[in-house]
Amino acid sequence: MAGLKTVLAGYLGYRGREGHWTFLLHRITGLGTGLFLTIHILDIAFVYFAPRLFLDVIELYQTTLFGIGEIFLVFCVFYHGLNGLRIAYFDMFKPRSWSREIQTKSSRILLILAIALWLPAAAWMIRNLLIHNFGLLGG
Amino acid sequence: MAATGKPQYSQTISPGMEGIAWKWMRYSAFLLIPLVWGHMILQDVVVGVHAMDLDYVARRWASMGWRVYDALLLGFAFAHGVNGLRQVLNDFIHSHKARRLLNIVLLIFWLGLTLAGFIALIAGVRN
Repeated sequence: MAGLKTVLAGYLGYRGREGHWTFLLHRITGLGTGLFLTIHILDIAFVYFAPRLFLDVIELYQTTLFGIGEIFLVFCVFYHGLNGLRIAYFDMFKPRSWSREIQTKSSRILLILAIALWLPAAAWMIRNLLIHNFGLLGG
Repeated sequence: MAATGKPQYSQTISPGMEGIAWKWMRYSAFLLIPLVWGHMILQDVVVGVHAMDLDYVARRWASMGWRVYDALLLGFAFAHGVNGLRQVLNDFIHSHKARRLLNIVLLIFWLGLTLAGFIALIAGVRN
């Protein structure tokens, strides 16, 4: 891990604006999704290996804290997927558009699209939380 | 830059394991968009975690179609995720020896969890 400091300094110090932020967000959302996926494979494996433990995990997932985490997870999945599509599109069809201007613009469009996909899902999940965890909205 | 001085826009992917791993990321991603988004919208948003219990999983897995869907998710998503983690860590780990060790550790991690997932998927909910 000799390069840790150098690489981290590059991650944080490089001033590439939108393209740079998109790179960082792609990594953060990917690692975040991967972390949950690891836990999720384990909890689903529990239905066979330790069914009681599965119920404990579900109870934990139903708490407000995890509910909020779940809402962020949905953003991670939308953003990471859309950015993957964006990269593949430019690579495969518009390789000459890997320019500063077009990447700045497409990174902004990407963020707007990700938020647009995320907001309705987030609203519905907040509704579920209000019903089940706060007894609101007739819950 | 090409020798002519014109900028070079496309790269050829080097053959070998790293090339295969790179292609894996791209092509699994195309499959993962419908698979993961569909799974997430259905389970996290429409059904919701408050409706989940052992009975829910058992009813879902009573349908062979959903089991195949979940098998595809497990196979493609986790391999994409672990290889992505490997790519990130390769930014920090540079020596040939350490990278080899990382590859082995991640392979065992991936294999172990994938196996656990498939066993549960095939065996189903235990009463």
